[in-house]
Amino acid sequence: MGDLTLIDASAYALQVLLIILAIAIVMHKNNGTIIILIASFSLVTASLYVLNSAPDVAIAEIAINSAIIPLIYVISISRQREYIILDKVNDDFIISDNSFTGIGYVILKRFADFYHLELNITNDPGLCALGEGEDQVLCEATNVDLIITKDTETNQYVFKGKNSSILIHKLEQLTKDHDNIRVVKFKDRDVGE
Amino acid sequence: MSVSKNIILFALLSVLLIVFMLAMQDLDVLYNSYGRDYYLLYGLEETGSRNLVSAIYLDYRLFDSLFEAGILLIAVSGIIWISKHDIEEKNAKFMIDKYKTPDLFVTFSRLVYPLMLTFGFYVIINGHLSPGGGFQGGAIVATAILILYYIDSERETNIGLIVTIEKYIFMTIIVLASISLFTRGTFFTNFMPLDASLQMKSIYLVLLNLLIGFKVALGLWTIFTAFLKEGR
Amino acid sequence: MDPILTFIVVLIGFYGLSTSSNIIKSVFMVTIIESGIILLFLNLGNYQGGSIPIFSEQVTSIVDPLPQALMITTIVIGSTVTAMALMLSIKVFHYYGSIEWKDVLGREELKL
Repeated sequence: MGDLTLIDASAYALQVLLIILAIAIVMHKNNGTIIILIASFSLVTASLYVLNSAPDVAIAEIAINSAIIPLIYVISISRQREYIILDKVNDDFIISDNSFTGIGYVILKRFADFYHLELNITNDPGLCALGEGEDQVLCEATNVDLIITKDTETNQYVFKGKNSSILIHKLEQLTKDHDNIRVVKFKDRDVGE
Repeated sequence: MSVSKNIILFALLSVLLIVFMLAMQDLDVLYNSYGRDYYLLYGLEETGSRNLVSAIYLDYRLFDSLFEAGILLIAVSGIIWISKHDIEEKNAKFMIDKYKTPDLFVTFSRLVYPLMLTFGFYVIINGHLSPGGGFQGGAIVATAILILYYIDSERETNIGLIVTIEKYIFMTIIVLASISLFTRGTFFTNFMPLDASLQMKSIYLVLLNLLIGFKVALGLWTIFTAFLKEGR
Repeated sequence: MDPILTFIVVLIGFYGLSTSSNIIKSVFMVTIIESGIILLFLNLGNYQGGSIPIFSEQVTSIVDPLPQALMITTIVIGSTVTAMALMLSIKVFHYYGSIEWKDVLGREELKL
């Protein structure tokens, strides 16, 4: 009987620990720390499954909820911080002397630091080869958040983004003092068009 | 959030707790031991599986497992459909790449990868004798495949091919489960006759466990490949 | 094992689900509720003195294997549902520019 009471005591301790972890996950604000907490939460639940005489369920829980699911959380949280910019300008607006020191990059960097975003700038030749008219299609069909082009007639740089995103409105307010930057917002089109 | 809303929420949750505690009191009347006694007495004889949990999801309630595999396939298709981009074959290459894996981690991953793969297949094949089976082993195999992405981060994976293989495996599972219609006269059970020896019955169990394991591993592989490719 | 302590975990999950401020946190809460419910089912099948559900000649009484077989499939399905919710949240971020509920739901074009 001594062994049974030991198992019962450890089961109660683990259940109290589970409640503490659940409250910590509810109260915590930083999503990155919650991932570590949720992995330890599923480790504690797996040990409770073993104490409930269910080794099969414990193996499944360990393999899926403390290995694969935290990885998916990490990937999706890192994807939700990045702001993807397609740079179609060929002069030194973003890149000067092969480094990010252009005036446009300084503006975007200040914008990204303010909203805790990570800039992800690309000048991929395959996407840049598409014509000017396809920018709206590109914005809707891919995850590109902002397209930078240059208007040769007025000598202005044009920022293009989706109208639904609140970040493009914030960017418009930030850049209204600069004369050589214009913001274009694509409205949603109906599916039938 | 306002205070009055919080009070209403706490009241609702405590009502739920009280209802649950009242329901738990009737549990002794509702719950009986006939089911587990039946499984202990006739489980090995009827299914050939020593692990009675596998006996349930491979034989007594195979119908549930088939639809579970179907839901997995539908969820994987949904994830691919959501993450699909109209402008294909034009994945952007980024100028900043700071996510570089350390060399020590890569070397360690090379050592761990074959061990994990072997353990995954061990869990699948011994699923009818010890704790384990297709679902758990498939998840371990998927975790092993995940390590490959640490070793070679530029790895190219053809998602379409994997999903096609997964569909054919799903159809094979249904066909294998339906063979019993011709040998025993009922759907979705072991195709060996009832009086066959344990070794003969375990052929069916190992085959079905292997197929389910492959299906789960391919499904999870597709899911995290879709996540790694997303936005790239 | 106390089923009531397990049910409190489920209730904490419900509380977090209704007060969470962004989409990722709601998905975390769904994971917690799911783990709590699995533990509850295993609690119901378990009893004092029952051994693990693997047949051998010495075993005289086992715990109920039926809830365990159901819960294995629940874990696998739950993982795919979580993955699908996270993929949708990435799409929501690139469309609305934010994953806070107040930015996504409190938009002017949604107010009829």
